[in-house]
Amino acid sequence: MQSSFSSSTEDKDSSATSTAWNGVDMTEVADTEKKPLSKNAQKRLEKAQRKAEKAQNKESQATPSSKKNQDEEELDPTQYLKLRTKLIEEARERGLDPYPHKFQTTRSIPSYVEKYQSLQAGDHLTDVVESLAGRIISKRSASSKLYFYDLRADGAKVQIMADARHANSLEDFSFIHNLLRRGDIVGVKGYPGKSKKGELSIFPTHVQLLSPCLRMLPKFALKDPETRFRQRYLDLIMNAEVTRETFTKRAKIIQFVRQFLGDNGFLEVETPMMNTIAGGATAKPFVTFHNELDMKMYMRVAPELYLKMLVVGGLDRVYEIGKNFRNEGIDMTHNPEFTSCEFYAAYWDYQDLMNFTEQMLSGLVKELTGGYVIEYHPEGKESSSEPIKIDFTPPFRRLSMLDALEEHLQETLPRPLDGEEAHKRLEEICTERNVACPEPRTTARMLDKLFGEYIEPQCIHPTFVCDHPAIMSPLAKYHRKTAGLTERFELFVNGKELVNAYTELNNPTVQRQRFLESAKDKAGGDEEAMVHDEDFCVALEYGLPPTAGWGMGLDRLTMLLTDNNNIKEVLLFPAMKPRTDS
Amino acid sequence: MVSKDSVQPPSSTPSLAIEKEEDMVALKKQRMNKIEALQAAGFTPFAYRWNKTHSALQLQTTYEYLSPGEQDTRVEISFAGRVKSKRTFGKLIFLTLEDDTGNIQLYVEQQVMARDSFRCIKSLVDIGDIIGVQGWIKRTEKGELSIVAKDWQMLSKSLLPLPDKFHGITDVAKRYRLRHVDMIVHPSVRHILRKRASIVSAIRAFLERKQFVEVETPALHRIAGGADATPFVTYHEALDVKLTLRIATELFLKRCIVGGFERVYEIGRVFRNEGISTRHNPEFTSLELYEAYKDYEDMMLLTEQLIAWVAQQVCGTTEIDYMEEKIHLGAPFRRITMNELVKETLQVDILSYDEVTSAKSALEIQCKASENVKDWDSIDSLGKLLASCFEHYCEKLLVQPTFVLDYPIEISPLAKRHRKDPRLTERFELYIAGRELANAFSELNDPIEQRERLIRQLEESEHGDKELDEEFLVALEQGMPPTGGMGMGIDRLVMLLTNSSSIRQVIAFPLLKPE
Repeated sequence: MQSSFSSSTEDKDSSATSTAWNGVDMTEVADTEKKPLSKNAQKRLEKAQRKAEKAQNKESQATPSSKKNQDEEELDPTQYLKLRTKLIEEARERGLDPYPHKFQTTRSIPSYVEKYQSLQAGDHLTDVVESLAGRIISKRSASSKLYFYDLRADGAKVQIMADARHANSLEDFSFIHNLLRRGDIVGVKGYPGKSKKGELSIFPTHVQLLSPCLRMLPKFALKDPETRFRQRYLDLIMNAEVTRETFTKRAKIIQFVRQFLGDNGFLEVETPMMNTIAGGATAKPFVTFHNELDMKMYMRVAPELYLKMLVVGGLDRVYEIGKNFRNEGIDMTHNPEFTSCEFYAAYWDYQDLMNFTEQMLSGLVKELTGGYVIEYHPEGKESSSEPIKIDFTPPFRRLSMLDALEEHLQETLPRPLDGEEAHKRLEEICTERNVACPEPRTTARMLDKLFGEYIEPQCIHPTFVCDHPAIMSPLAKYHRKTAGLTERFELFVNGKELVNAYTELNNPTVQRQRFLESAKDKAGGDEEAMVHDEDFCVALEYGLPPTAGWGMGLDRLTMLLTDNNNIKEVLLFPAMKPRTDS
Repeated sequence: MVSKDSVQPPSSTPSLAIEKEEDMVALKKQRMNKIEALQAAGFTPFAYRWNKTHSALQLQTTYEYLSPGEQDTRVEISFAGRVKSKRTFGKLIFLTLEDDTGNIQLYVEQQVMARDSFRCIKSLVDIGDIIGVQGWIKRTEKGELSIVAKDWQMLSKSLLPLPDKFHGITDVAKRYRLRHVDMIVHPSVRHILRKRASIVSAIRAFLERKQFVEVETPALHRIAGGADATPFVTYHEALDVKLTLRIATELFLKRCIVGGFERVYEIGRVFRNEGISTRHNPEFTSLELYEAYKDYEDMMLLTEQLIAWVAQQVCGTTEIDYMEEKIHLGAPFRRITMNELVKETLQVDILSYDEVTSAKSALEIQCKASENVKDWDSIDSLGKLLASCFEHYCEKLLVQPTFVLDYPIEISPLAKRHRKDPRLTERFELYIAGRELANAFSELNDPIEQRERLIRQLEESEHGDKELDEEFLVALEQGMPPTGGMGMGIDRLVMLLTNSSSIRQVIAFPLLKPE
């Protein structure tokens, strides 16, 4: 240990024989912290401090890394990797362990900043020993005896001011500081203080390489989305403030939802992600194969049916937060795996759910922002367009789906909606108005397209769109007042669906009929039509209490609340198209 | 629950033989007729909502003070639940209603209720139906807390009968196939799921307090990694790529550490294409956590703290019963190296030998190892010999929590070489009740050594396509700090804390062999 704070000269002498860069004894840090300094040590310190102050005047003149380092940065990535690997191997041969097992820190960098931020410029707490670790994000040298580094970890930053005069041997000092590069992970032990310029720093007596960065970090800002998404760790290193914030916020959002549901008596459960049939929502599943059981299995597209079976089983309020899988393309709002929250509450209906949704979302926005209004850039944060304001103040606007559509079309659609006449009229409307609806043009799909074309874009502030036709909602309960409709709502925000919910269909006879109708659509070529699930129908025959169910996309929610318009920005490792260059 | 108010129910539902197909068809027909009768009487057989003022538990605790014969008519009670029993005595009917929290008796007297309502509840309600009632609270002369029904509603008419509650469902496989019925009949199933939720929630609370950030990494991987297991394979149509379902979360979580998160964890589903047993389900839930600047010693401290804390939160004690054993989950747990443990058990110090054949002969003399240890002849290194002997002779003996330390390097491709012995790694597994519960290392962060070790693993592996995860190696080349990591099987922890012998008991819907 090369501490000049050692309590006796013997300690110092014995430690001087060991190499400057190897082996930190885990117990030692705690020991040295407590012991008072000997007079000699005190004097050495003061002397060092005076010199350090002098040296600090050079801080502003320090060049961004030495000439040699600069030249290296001109190398191409492969050459750099080779060179760096070689240097590290050479150092290894000289007895340095480039990957030591452990470095004991005394505190994290955020807590260091918090503790010493109030020091005055020029203050040096020479009787304090702190050990910090992090990644070097910049290196500057004023001379071969004075180096400045910016050290970052856990979202905070501190300066390292390494002065040869604090080190035990000049040889050790030169060795380590010649070796260190931008990107390396290091541990430093020293005293806290602020430079003359007022920069919070640590003045190390000991600097240790903990893990070298063999690849050159990007020289300038990392903006290229391909690299950012494929090598998210680089994005996290280079764009620490923004990217890190997105993912800590994502964790907070999910934590809030859990807490809110828990506080309202909901039980978190886990249901299968792999099933022998694919049911629950209308989407194309991933298919896989279980070797030993010798059977095909499907990844779930939604946990819905299992959760309802738990309500049948007597768990009155359940929820699941988890991944679902859809075998579809990748775009700004779709990733093949995504995270949803679904919950089911016995004895509630969709009206209860609307109130509950308002409470949850307005509460969340308030918790995150302090108010109910968020700013959002639909074209992306980087775009020059002005952000829109989205107001989560409850109550949210409520409108009936068909009323809204008929009002826009300025005509009343023929009833019943599942009849021939309605189908014909909708085809005409789609053609007249040039609304694209790919085959198969079922009534449900045409209604969906028209609604998406005309009404969804109007729903910027949170809007409950209610009472969908039964043909669009095979698992929702028939409306208690209007035939042909269901007790369902979707919550739209910024023109996009965020929540889908309904009073659950708990009549097994009607459920069977709906599955049959859906099967007809499937036979007609609609790949996304729902599959008949007999186990689920049997479960309903044991009696599902009146129940309301609710699902929300957590990725979409995170996008809204972190002002991102691309789902890849809120997934740590989004699915990417395979590289074509290799 | 047998009511104290009845001596012998004169008109109980006949015992239900669920197996007989014809009976079922007839019974379902009967129930369908009742639905029509309900509709004719103005009832909705499948209602839309019910306003519930109290849970059964709330009623039981709020009105505990009522003495036999006493009632409180001031508070309007509105309750809903499933009918678990029904006994009719002319103008008086007793029903037991069960909800999420417990039971309450329903006291139905003809003179309190409208005539039609009484007639319908008497003739059209079956065991298994879900009904809503309104009334007031009373403790009967026999001491049973009851709701005196003024009015009622059918909320959901059941078409299928519940299995005979005294015989339950005897076929275990059938219980798992009809898990919802299992739950209705056996409240203990619900109790385990409830406890499971508390356990996971306690783990989260513990880690949040230690400032770990919860993250979600992909479940669809291009290359399976982080463990040695056969993955499920699937295909993404739009991208035209083969994908595997993750067998571990390890390699992506380490990328988060490279990216500068210092404490991350993920609780999530992991998939392995293996057989089904009392300890294995193809999908299971794992906790993996990583902390920068820590090593496996730190991970031991964290692991024992975590387990003791969760046990205290969920079971109220760190002394738990598991099967026939009393298990002490209070920290610290016993720590012993794998070699010491084998030495203690077999009196052979494997690592003291220079080469494998002489160690083998010593074991042969001591315990006829060749007849017991799997694949004896193919064991070609001291490390593998040590691991095999441990597995065969020692694992099952580890009933009390034990950290088994310092695994051979050959079987630990992602763990860092031991700082004192290059044949070993800084790795431990935690054993409780003879089962592995957790696995942890000082993480290997040297990309050059990692590459060599992964190549060696691929050469020896029986699984997968033998493709090296270059993207992970490139991430390590960017520099990963010294890091401690730990993985724990949540299902196994739940088994332990709920005294369950099979993993199926702690999974809501375990995968079953097709019928």
